[in-house]
Amino acid sequence: MEINADIHLTRDPDFVLDVNLTVQPHGITALYGPSGSGKSTLLRLLAGLERGTRSDRIEITDGKNVWQNKHSFVRPEMRGVGFVFQQQQLFPHLSVQGNLNFALSRQHTEHNLDINQVYDWLNLQPLLDKEIRQLSGGEAQRVAISRVLLNGAKCLFMDEPLGSIDVPSRSRILPYLDRLHRNLQIPMVYVSHSYEEITYLADHLFVLDNGKITSQGSMLELCSTLELNSGEGDAAAVVIQCTVAKHDHNYRLSELDFEEASIFVNAEQYQVGDSLRVRIPAKDVSITTTRPENTSILNVLEVQIVSFEESTGPSVLVRLRRKRQFILARITKKSLNLLGLQPEQTVYAQIKSVALLMESIND
Amino acid sequence: MIDPDLVSLTITLKLAAVTTLILFMVGTPLAWWLARTRHIAGFLVEPLVALPIVLPPTVLGFYFLILFSPNSGFGKAWTSMTGSTLAFTFEGLVIGSVIYSLPFYVQPLQIAFSGVRQELLDAAATMGAGPMDRFVNIVVPICRSGFVVASTLAFAHTVGEFGIVLMIGGNISGETRVLSIALFDHVETLQYARAHLMAAGLLIFSFTLLLIVYTLNRRQAGQFSRSDSGS
Repeated sequence: MEINADIHLTRDPDFVLDVNLTVQPHGITALYGPSGSGKSTLLRLLAGLERGTRSDRIEITDGKNVWQNKHSFVRPEMRGVGFVFQQQQLFPHLSVQGNLNFALSRQHTEHNLDINQVYDWLNLQPLLDKEIRQLSGGEAQRVAISRVLLNGAKCLFMDEPLGSIDVPSRSRILPYLDRLHRNLQIPMVYVSHSYEEITYLADHLFVLDNGKITSQGSMLELCSTLELNSGEGDAAAVVIQCTVAKHDHNYRLSELDFEEASIFVNAEQYQVGDSLRVRIPAKDVSITTTRPENTSILNVLEVQIVSFEESTGPSVLVRLRRKRQFILARITKKSLNLLGLQPEQTVYAQIKSVALLMESIND
Repeated sequence: MIDPDLVSLTITLKLAAVTTLILFMVGTPLAWWLARTRHIAGFLVEPLVALPIVLPPTVLGFYFLILFSPNSGFGKAWTSMTGSTLAFTFEGLVIGSVIYSLPFYVQPLQIAFSGVRQELLDAAATMGAGPMDRFVNIVVPICRSGFVVASTLAFAHTVGEFGIVLMIGGNISGETRVLSIALFDHVETLQYARAHLMAAGLLIFSFTLLLIVYTLNRRQAGQFSRSDSGS
């Protein structure tokens, strides 16, 4: 399923949603933007929960069938879209099991998901006999997600699913979502205003502002752009994707494979072969023109300079590439000139701190 | 010979039951529409439904008499279909009672319907439940006590009506003489023992029903209010 949408919708006199987007058939597509940017409205339009008025232009297809255009409108119950809301979506008159049964008896497609497998992914077994009002916010969201999966949704929409959950529970539920995304072959659309959630989960990113898409593309690539990080000051950072290569239990360090180079970090809880995301703050990356020797810094990468930030301050952001991924370094303008750095030049990035993304979310 | 008061009791109960049944069929969709619509017409229909609460029953009764008269279009159509007029018949009373008790059925139900969160209906819709499925399996069970309250109030209010019955029903034993009219008769003819019995009976009946209604209201207020609040 590849959802295509071309939408021009006027809401009130001053809000116009004007977007054209394609939801990739695999991976998590994130709609990111401040509240009021139109991302939730966009998601509800895609699901058919809103349909605009006659004067709006809304064209949505799922790759094969038209969901909405001038002449036709497929109702939400016929679209096969699973929708997880921010909160309070479980039927209060039914038990947890009753809620799941509601979904099971109305399946969109014969799915071949093993029910117990779904319960495992979301650790649902302990909740099955509970009443809805006994659940915490995080537990309720896990039930809501399972309910959507058991319903046989052909794609999964989530509208700020962690928005109603306290921060410590958020970092507990994110790995569940990540596990789903690895196990399911259906497209997921994830709406959030939290940059941390997006960097942890998303594969594809649409940034919305005031009803328009301001940038779009691969999350890993976009999060390293100078545009998105300029003005972030010390918070400028990139997220990179690595694979666990091996563990060194003597030093309690794990070697991650990053674009055919090694990054060392404490990641003992993961298994060899696991793919994980790592966050690198730009202020913790420095540049040398020759390979540094006799240094205490473990993580040194051979990289190529891509571009510099136009800056009026004392420091500049430098975008560096290693094969298909990017990192950022914040250095002083003085160093930039002293080293005579130029685009395309091969240099070495020394990385002082590396954090697994989960840890950075826990902060 | 059956006691005429028992006949009045039977007519009263029959009238209240038929009225409540019709209100269930007509008032339920009306309450749902009023609870959900953002259409401008809602602003007009809502006070229209509430009118019988404030209007003297005699005003309603007067207009019904005019409507039922064979000279009016509605009265003429009814007469040509059934061969009889509506004024001073049980059928006429039913029509009057449905309108007169409409707000007592619609308003509590409308409030209950408004309390059903949109997320629940949206969630059910995306899971493949059509409009009727959503109403029967989500809305009705959540609003169960709303239905009980609405039906009880409509039933009790119909049992207690007087003015409109007097205007459009008259006082025909076995056809339109309901309890409240019979009570009036007893007082008029100074049969105080019978009047006492009847008045006390109606008092206890009404109190019991209201007791049920308020108990249910309290329970409903506590029932789903703290569900998945994220605590």
